[in-house]
Amino acid sequence: MDSGKTLCSLLKAIQFQESAVFCAMQEGLKLTVEEGKCVQASAYIPADNFNEYHVRDDVDVLFKISIAVLTECLNIFGSAEESSLKMYYRCEGSPLLLVLQAQSFSNVMTDCEIATQTADTLLELRDEDAEEESKLVLKAPAFLGLLADLERSCDIIEINLSPEHPNLSIVTYGMQDRSCIEIPKSSDMVQSFTCERAVTLKYQLYHIRLIMKALAVSNKVVLRCSSNGLLLLQLKLEKEDQRQMFSEFYIVPLLDD
Amino acid sequence: MKCLIPGPNVKVLGRTIHALARFGDELYLESSPEAILLRTLNASESAYAMVKFNKVFFSYFNYNYFSAKDQEGLKCKISMKSALHAFKSPTHMDKQVENLEIRLDAESCKLIFIIKCKHGIVKTHFVSILDCKAMQAVYTKDLVHNRITSSQKILSEALGNFQSSDDQVNIEVNTESLILRNYVDSSMDLSKVIRTQISIKSAEFDTYVIGRETVITFTIKEFRALLAFAEALNLPLQLHFEVTGKPVVFIVHNNTTFEAHFVLATTKSDTPTQTSASQNSTITDRKRKEMGFNSNSVRKKPNLDVDVSKCLDEDSHLFDYIEMPIDIINAQNNDCSNKDISQSIIQENVDCDNIPPSPTSKMKIKTIFKRCFESTFDPRSIRGSVLAENSDSE
Repeated sequence: MDSGKTLCSLLKAIQFQESAVFCAMQEGLKLTVEEGKCVQASAYIPADNFNEYHVRDDVDVLFKISIAVLTECLNIFGSAEESSLKMYYRCEGSPLLLVLQAQSFSNVMTDCEIATQTADTLLELRDEDAEEESKLVLKAPAFLGLLADLERSCDIIEINLSPEHPNLSIVTYGMQDRSCIEIPKSSDMVQSFTCERAVTLKYQLYHIRLIMKALAVSNKVVLRCSSNGLLLLQLKLEKEDQRQMFSEFYIVPLLDD
Repeated sequence: MKCLIPGPNVKVLGRTIHALARFGDELYLESSPEAILLRTLNASESAYAMVKFNKVFFSYFNYNYFSAKDQEGLKCKISMKSALHAFKSPTHMDKQVENLEIRLDAESCKLIFIIKCKHGIVKTHFVSILDCKAMQAVYTKDLVHNRITSSQKILSEALGNFQSSDDQVNIEVNTESLILRNYVDSSMDLSKVIRTQISIKSAEFDTYVIGRETVITFTIKEFRALLAFAEALNLPLQLHFEVTGKPVVFIVHNNTTFEAHFVLATTKSDTPTQTSASQNSTITDRKRKEMGFNSNSVRKKPNLDVDVSKCLDEDSHLFDYIEMPIDIINAQNNDCSNKDISQSIIQENVDCDNIPPSPTSKMKIKTIFKRCFESTFDPRSIRGSVLAENSDSE
């Protein structure tokens, strides 16, 4: 890979847990973290981001790695410096090898060896039976602005989607007050809107806030709600070379009490 | 009540709410046929602020929207936190907000803020009403002896020199100048506090009428807040005050649309027999003796012309020699008449005449200084015989 910088910023966006599950597939790399069985966040780097990409297809390449150490190694020449990156992994139990070469000065190379652990099992949050009910595509910076404006002291966020006007509304409940943000589908920040039937979903505001870091580095966000209330946010990060990286967040809803 | 505020004015309202939030925790709203008033009072009831928005501030104004019979407007109290939440970031509010509607929902007893933003986004805040009382402070602003109008910049620049730990400011006024000091309680450990004193000449103010010379002391936190407000709106500040113990009133207004009054209680000095002026200056001197070189943080002498800075340099040599802090720049300002603002605002001065004659230690200081202030004194005359070496820093 020519530059580890974008990868590093994407990893930092999902860095709310100490370690991540690193999974290399034919299609690309995927790093996943979980927060209290309620939020599952992954960074997905499609194989076309790499100049060369080889993964054995007869075994699962799956291990646990410290995400803090990994980002630190990627940033070893400082955040201002672009560096090319090579990654090697031999087999289960062996360390992940990183070879970084700074672009602005030649003849400087860094070899990093990061110890790996056996991966934990990950939650299978996606339910094949639950069909997708609504999908909307928003501009990430505008959505980030809205989330940043929400009252920090609130615990619960309510998202209402409906085919009628206003199509999307976000309600937060404070101590005595209620705040409501309404966004019609005609708004500039909404790029596409599909919703068959009105739904009201409640989530922990804290869980929603976890995506803010990832929103800050992304261009576009896709919200998908399935009939069981599971919220899937897919964030697209577009690099200068038109290649894309993604992050995904599954957020479990609060049940009505 | 129902009113609609156009985009640019929303920013003004946002600034106002943020300034009021520095005063009190609760916000009182009151509507009348002509205007809307926002008031707040701090917990210790020593600071009060009132901002009046006239009808022309709004693009639509109806003080009692629901019943035409009811001649009384709205009176209510809401929590400042909720109000702040509606105006989270006043700095870029004007770019996003198209208009703001404030409406009272009589059925649910909620005050509703509806903010219409760009891109068709509508933010609605339902704010609970805590109480239905109105509140008003009694103070006079018209029949006072002392009135000063100042551009917001002078005072905030002067206040910038104070330490963040200072909590009270002391203003001494006479017909020639205004002296700002940080107030030091007699119970404080004098070896640990930094004394700051800034003298501003009357010519720097837009108007300067002093009917009675006085010294007032009030809290610096609210003073900073209201100065920030005046600065954000780029409007001059009027000070109306009487003697110590009576409140000081700060007025910021934009002729037709709004008027803000900030009222701060002034404290009486601790020892009634001594005027606080002389009390403070004795503290100053004693302090300087103890502190030695430690207190030079407040010295500022931007673009002084060569003559003056030379004099100052020589003075500081003098003071070094008798182990006084180098920040004591003496009152040369009498000679230099046409100095520009930045020069004359910030001056440390040691005014020997202020020292009460009684205690002996102070008398000693007076005699040491005396020579320097005599008109025949020429600093160059002692140049040849330096009695002590300059300190390393020079």
